[in-house]
Amino acid sequence: MAVREAVALTDFSFVRAFALPETPGIDFLDALLAGNVPKIRFGRVLHTFLADASGHLAADCFVANNDQEFIFLCESILPDVEFDALLATAGLDSQARDLSADHVVLSLDGFKSWEVVKQIFGADVVGLPYLSIENYQFAGEPVRFIRAGKTSEFGYLLLAPVKIAAALFATLQAEVAKRGGRLAGVDAHDALRLEGRFFNIFQEGARVRDPLPLGLQWMIDFEKEKFSGGGAIQQRRTAGLRQKVIGLAADAGCAELKTGARIFHDGQPVGEVVAACESQVLHRPLALGLFPLELAFSGLEFRVGAPTGAVIRSISMPPIMPKSLLVKLDEM
Amino acid sequence: MSENTDQTILRRRQVIDTFKQELIRRLNLPYLPEDLHEDVSLLGSGLGLDSLDSLEIVLCVETCFKIKIPDENISVLRSINTVVDFVLEQQDRNGGRP
Repeated sequence: MAVREAVALTDFSFVRAFALPETPGIDFLDALLAGNVPKIRFGRVLHTFLADASGHLAADCFVANNDQEFIFLCESILPDVEFDALLATAGLDSQARDLSADHVVLSLDGFKSWEVVKQIFGADVVGLPYLSIENYQFAGEPVRFIRAGKTSEFGYLLLAPVKIAAALFATLQAEVAKRGGRLAGVDAHDALRLEGRFFNIFQEGARVRDPLPLGLQWMIDFEKEKFSGGGAIQQRRTAGLRQKVIGLAADAGCAELKTGARIFHDGQPVGEVVAACESQVLHRPLALGLFPLELAFSGLEFRVGAPTGAVIRSISMPPIMPKSLLVKLDEM
Repeated sequence: MSENTDQTILRRRQVIDTFKQELIRRLNLPYLPEDLHEDVSLLGSGLGLDSLDSLEIVLCVETCFKIKIPDENISVLRSINTVVDFVLEQQDRNGGRP
């Protein structure tokens, strides 16, 4: 609840980070990723994905056009060796810098997170639009600052050199504590993403793998000639969608709505739970389920776990109204 | 499927199809209707529409369904599904009439 009511700080250094020179980085990334990299305006960030050759998800990515460089952040579900091999096969060359070894990624999220960054980096931070990048200094070192949370509250990713990581973390932590916030583990973000219906590659992404049933078409530029896995994805798109992931909710106390559970309708198995959490906001279990297209609508009743199991309902997502959506810029 | 479930799906599908087609036409979105997941975020992340686009969405609902979205009700515009929920609720309040 720290994120919903105040602010939380999380070490996101599991995120792989790369810096590529504008040339040839722009062409490399465009040939690799599903989104249109040349269309990213200066100072802006694209949310897209990296697929393997069969068009299955490998990483959830942010690409930022940051002056003379492109910053490439990846939440990968592949082992590092496989992920590195995928990039090498795609042609990642020696001009690209892997920042993962000497940088940390910190995630600051929450209704009051803008107060923390304003205190440390200055008032102009507040004006940054969602999916933008800016460069700031901390203790004389550059901090790449990306507004790109996945909780539906205000959120920032800070990419900082390891040499200032401890000092930056301590400063952030102190400011977070002043506002009633706290440190949060990465696991807490699973529930936050589900409540906000942000794609989570470690949950539903890892179970489903196909971006189309997951509803990630908005991350794809279908007019691009090619990208990694693009041919396979186009083929599946042309063949027609057969399944779709939709939101589910159960009454408080329902223990059956958990990842992997089967879903029944009229006594027949029709779907599977692909992500689940206990919502701290709604005080009941929430989930995502993979359904055949003809049943992928909100407002329907199902049973979970067994044909006579607990009643669950398909719901419209996102089911919560984040506080941050109610804050006006001139009030910040 | 029960008749009740069939009717629920049919009614919802009609509103979704109408709204998606009009949304794509008005905003010139580079997608087919089936590319737009009903839970995709309309503003900010997802489709990444801006405040001007949100006015188009409001007009789209008014034109297609003769239903006005109040200025203060921004929560309606979070996803296609939340818009559709609002349309169905308003139709129910009007006794099923547009």
